[in-house]
Amino acid sequence: MPAPSRWLIRSSFGCLLVGMIIGALLLIHKSYPLHPAMWSLLPVHIELLIFGWIIQFTMGTAYWILPRYLEDSSRGNPALVNLTVVLLNMGILLMITDTLLLPKWPLALAGRAFEAGAVLLFIMLHWRRIVSYQR
Amino acid sequence: MPHVARTFIKTGFVFFMVALILGVALEIESLPLPRLMPLFWHALMVGWITQIIFGVSLWMFPGRTREEGFKAQIWAWLTYIFLNTGLVLRFIAEPMLLYSTLTIWDILVVGSAVLQVSGGVTYVIEMWPRVQSKKQRMRKRKQKRNR
Repeated sequence: MPAPSRWLIRSSFGCLLVGMIIGALLLIHKSYPLHPAMWSLLPVHIELLIFGWIIQFTMGTAYWILPRYLEDSSRGNPALVNLTVVLLNMGILLMITDTLLLPKWPLALAGRAFEAGAVLLFIMLHWRRIVSYQR
Repeated sequence: MPHVARTFIKTGFVFFMVALILGVALEIESLPLPRLMPLFWHALMVGWITQIIFGVSLWMFPGRTREEGFKAQIWAWLTYIFLNTGLVLRFIAEPMLLYSTLTIWDILVVGSAVLQVSGGVTYVIEMWPRVQSKKQRMRKRKQKRNR
């Protein structure tokens, strides 16, 4: 498994655990109220589990498992995939920071733009890898 | 495909269907079914998508043991038991919070939360060492053979 896949997948495991713990606290809060501001964690729970867990895990596994380029059996430009990992995780962090700490700054806009950049790079890297070796 | 992966995927199919039935019920305005929305989303995202990711990754990722059975694949089976018991408990207890003041429903909701997180933890315990490079995999295989 290549290094960028390992980073994406391990980061997705981290997001899964933190997202699940927040979800568990929200569920417990329904029975035993924990804090009046508890529900403000709902967007963080969703961000961590949709983008951090499901999307990140899928991207990591796809980079590893999709067919490589026929010409040189590589998976594409390593700098671009490293940038994908950084942009996606920065985007997730910015979205969470926006929800928790600095809602008046335009962090959510930057966060979603980073995530969109990561997805664009991901598509560019994988477009020509969606092939069949049979004629 | 190992037994535990098949069980995850088939249970995922059941939750997929349950989610869509809940989705239909949500659209019928005359049905008096409150608190269905979180159940619909969790049946879909945890019961179906997360469960199928767990099942397929336990099967496809390198370094799995070929030996079948609960003891040989303890972390995977514990993940299955924790996640699904937690989900089923939630589906029973959460709507009951609205109709009953009995403490048992509150306790079951807490139990469901703890079980689902435990499922996440046991999954990561199983999978973390299996996220490895080709070199690391070869080294591990060599060490196993030399034992």
